[in-house]
Amino acid sequence: MTDKDMIICRCEEVTYGELVETANEYGCNARELKLRTRAGMGYCGGRTCRNMVDAVACTVTERDSKQVTLKYQPPVRPVHFGDLGAIGHD
Amino acid sequence: MADLIIIGSGPAGLSAGITAAECGLSVLILDEYLKPGGRLLGQLYEEPGGKWWNGIEETRKLEKRAAALDLDIRLGTAVSNIEKEDGLWHVYTDRETFTAPSLLLATGAAESPVAIPGWTLPGVMSVGAAQVMTNVHRVKPGSRGVIIGVSVLSSAIAMELNIAGIDVAAIALPKMNEVNKDGANPAGVMDSLLHVSHMAPSKFVQFGSKLMQNDFMKKLGITFYPKGGVKMWGIPVMLRKAVIEICGTEQVEGVILATVTTNGQVVPGSEQRIDADFVCIAGGLYPLAELIGLTGCPFHHIDELGGYVPLHNEQMETPVDGLYVAGNITGIEGAKVAMSQGVAAALSIARNFGRQGLDDILREAVEYVGETRRKAHIQFHPEVAEGRRKMQQYWEEYEAAQERIAPEEPVVEKEVLQGV
Ligand SMILES: Cc1cc2nc3c(=O)[nH]c(=O)nc-3n(C[C@H](O)[C@H](O)[C@H](O)COP(=O)(O)OP(=O)(O)OC[C@H]3O[C@@H](n4cnc5c(N)ncnc54)[C@H](O)[C@@H]3O)c2cc1C
Repeated sequence: MTDKDMIICRCEEVTYGELVETANEYGCNARELKLRTRAGMGYCGGRTCRNMVDAVACTVTERDSKQVTLKYQPPVRPVHFGDLGAIGHD
Repeated sequence: MADLIIIGSGPAGLSAGITAAECGLSVLILDEYLKPGGRLLGQLYEEPGGKWWNGIEETRKLEKRAAALDLDIRLGTAVSNIEKEDGLWHVYTDRETFTAPSLLLATGAAESPVAIPGWTLPGVMSVGAAQVMTNVHRVKPGSRGVIIGVSVLSSAIAMELNIAGIDVAAIALPKMNEVNKDGANPAGVMDSLLHVSHMAPSKFVQFGSKLMQNDFMKKLGITFYPKGGVKMWGIPVMLRKAVIEICGTEQVEGVILATVTTNGQVVPGSEQRIDADFVCIAGGLYPLAELIGLTGCPFHHIDELGGYVPLHNEQMETPVDGLYVAGNITGIEGAKVAMSQGVAAALSIARNFGRQGLDDILREAVEYVGETRRKAHIQFHPEVAEGRRKMQQYWEEYEAAQERIAPEEPVVEKEVLQGV
């Protein structure tokens, strides 16, 4: 297997090749790279691939050292649908 | 309702809980794992001087003190969200929702993976997972393993596997690509190992540190570093070989190793396959900030501390009212530093709760954190003290800016960010 076909985000099945190509084409930061490829947007919320996505983005953009570019969103652990109603009472 | 909720029952959270209870606060500790102790549980190594650091024993001591104080520790309770409303923290878990006016986040560190073809195969795990399986659950992760990533942590865990009678075929670098940068550079890895070598708990990282004191010798050192590795407890530590692929169809069957140049480029034709039934990845640790990332607390990326770290001062206060941090969430360091930070955090919280006469012992506790850091046997980044200095500077800059905005109210309460 080559690097190109290697899966980086397992939940959304995004490959290394896709991430590197997208980063090079758009010169995007980590957040934009995530939105363009869906890497880090799956079931686990990017718990596993977050640093790898960040690393690829940092090869084409300056890191924003004052902000976590890949923002954290609740819930940070999988929750049951039944419990979801209790979270965030807007 | 408790006065204080602590998320994380690692060395930082447990120490904080004990101190806070001793100050008379009612404390609730939550942890998603089935045992208290956090990352302390897996630790087992010989310190210089021959004393063994056994994390299970150290946890037991903390647990005993916690039990004597009747601390309420809820295990198997994962926190999925936190919010602040009308001066109270709401902590959402898979069991119930808890509330308290003060919240201490002691969620520790997480491990980074590395990107190597085959890393998603069954049988590939983080070194931390192999450590927990071996030392905590007493289950062998496999019969013959390869560790990818050369660091103080991976060499310590290799030794632990060795003690448990598990064959470690090699410790080697990850291949160089856009993800695995620093950890794949032989010269860089050697340099960082040498910086921490004088205090490291393993003979390997102490090796040749005197020899390698200037840059010329270092360059020579990595150029002439034996391609077959240097053996540590019989395990070859390979700074000039990288794993370029993890092989297997249904599960790990082996890895492909290749010789690399001093800056990490694969030497064509040098590939060789070695058999293994499990692979451990040591991609480094970073502060686990997912919960504090929901509070609006400002962050700074500080390499020496392992990544994005929430803004905090030496008393372990954050700029968010009623929110405190301790342990590896503030930067990657050893368990003893985490414990001392936990004590300092608890004293701050008790003082801010109006407990009298704590100023002196809080000052001493803060000094003790620094002293513990200076004496630490295990150091994850050679410049950790510099990282701490940067954080303190960011804190001072933040406070000065707040004073310019609202002179009579230096610490502004942040609104809790809602999900998009
Ligand atoms: C794999 C690994 C090996 C290490 N080896 C060593 C070593 O040999 N020596 C050494 O000195 N240091 C070692 N460390 C560093 C270690 O992190 C510190 O020694 C110390 O354990 C940090 O203490 P802590 O209390 O900050 O965090 P931890 O000990 O990590 O405890 C954090 C706790 O928070 C809990 N938690 C996190 N998020 C949630 C949530 N959402 N809900 C509920 N609970 C949550 C976790 O379950 C965990 O029990 C290692 C770290 C790792 C990751």
